[in-house]
Amino acid sequence: MTASRPKPLGGAALVGWSVLAAAAFLLLFFVITLVLRQMPDPIGPRADLFVEGARMTLQLTLVSGLIGLGVGLIAGIQKTSSLWWVRAPANLFVWLVRGTPLLVQILFVYNALPPLLQGIGINVQLNEFWSAVIALALNVGAYNAEVIRAGILAIPRGQSEAARSLGLSSGQTMTTVVLPQALRVVVPPLVNNLVALLKDSSLASTIALLELTLAGSRVSSESFQPIPVLTTVAAVYLALTTVMTLFTDQLERRVKIASR
Amino acid sequence: MKKTLLSLAALTFLASGAQARTWDAIRQSGTIKIATEGAFPPFNVLKGKELTGFEVELANELAKQMGLKVQWVTQPFDNLLIGLQQDRYDFVIASHGITPQRAKAVDFTNPHYCTGGAIVAKPGGPKTAADLVGKTVAVQVGTTYLDNVRKVQGVKEVKTFPKDTDAQAALMAGRVDAWVGDKFTGLDLVKAQKGKVVAGELLFNERIGMAVKKGNASLLKELNAALAKSLSSGSYAKISGKYFNTDVRCKN
Repeated sequence: MTASRPKPLGGAALVGWSVLAAAAFLLLFFVITLVLRQMPDPIGPRADLFVEGARMTLQLTLVSGLIGLGVGLIAGIQKTSSLWWVRAPANLFVWLVRGTPLLVQILFVYNALPPLLQGIGINVQLNEFWSAVIALALNVGAYNAEVIRAGILAIPRGQSEAARSLGLSSGQTMTTVVLPQALRVVVPPLVNNLVALLKDSSLASTIALLELTLAGSRVSSESFQPIPVLTTVAAVYLALTTVMTLFTDQLERRVKIASR
Repeated sequence: MKKTLLSLAALTFLASGAQARTWDAIRQSGTIKIATEGAFPPFNVLKGKELTGFEVELANELAKQMGLKVQWVTQPFDNLLIGLQQDRYDFVIASHGITPQRAKAVDFTNPHYCTGGAIVAKPGGPKTAADLVGKTVAVQVGTTYLDNVRKVQGVKEVKTFPKDTDAQAALMAGRVDAWVGDKFTGLDLVKAQKGKVVAGELLFNERIGMAVKKGNASLLKELNAALAKSLSSGSYAKISGKYFNTDVRCKN
């Protein structure tokens, strides 16, 4: 009679988990709308503005979080390479992004990147949303890269030695032996970065993207009542991060295999 | 729960319990604290470390008449009137259009100039309110321009920026079809950009006043008296002429 271990997450379970998470957020927005509409002036009459802002904040977080995960994965694997010319670009990228403030990065992508690109003949018009997504994704990507590198280094050398001696190529070793174990190790710190990203997305208010913080400052500058507005904004952020961590905790529990 | 509510109530009471400085208290201290934004040329603008502009010079002139030294404070525009309610400074001079909504929160002096909201766009862009249908417009957050653009039916999108200069930059970068802002600022913008943008019609007219904390009647009276004196003595006309080559006082 062995204790039944939770099975590692399969594809179907992952889809189910995402559907549940999406449903939970929909429900959350429904509840937020209901609650805010009951509030007295200045919140009640403008409840929809807050909800619209919260939706934009979540959208920004999910899109840039996904892109940032890809960026972090590529840069993190590059950083563990034994070839210097593979490591160098990833090192440069992490050095640049971690060494400059996110606010400056957002303003840079929005105000400086389009003219710079035009200078080299690429005509691209970045709107507020995509400017914010690029800046946030690169930022969280750099932090994710370090996390993923740490996860790869945490897998004992014996694992890859064993895989190589069984005849797997170095690429196969990485994708079938090392990464599956490393990614389980790094779920908690990656979640940490995702929650930080949700809060950092408030900086996009400086480029006129109507997310939760800008929605709040619009209402507060109209009504001159900062106390209820800021309290509401903080409460909605808290609700968003709470629901998010509920589901990431689930994810953490499900991807755990034989370990402590 | 009741306890938290009580302590919250106590906190808000503490936050609003401070008293605005009356005229007597200001005169005794010898220094008046004035707040402005410092990002709204040619009215109040920070050139390096130096705060200058029509309103800054005017306020300095009024303080001189009242026999007071000046301490300037700069704040983001949408925070100015909120800070006034929290007694961070004595009065605000930052091109606030006098609106009923604002008059509920603060007390306004007599208008220190009259102006309007102008539409500025690239050549061939929208020129009138009717042209704004289906277009995107850049304005500064917390301004009367935002309220008035919202009143125009059929505008596709209104983008709000923390500073007016950011909103102008959005127009120059071609991110929006038009910018709506002060007509004098618009004229300055057109002059500075040398034909890259053109000024359209006025969307609305407005009277601009200085703001004191609600109920601070003694300071309001002194400010109005100093303004009236400056208007009649010619010192107002001199400052106005320096910045606009015309007298911008309200004519009605």
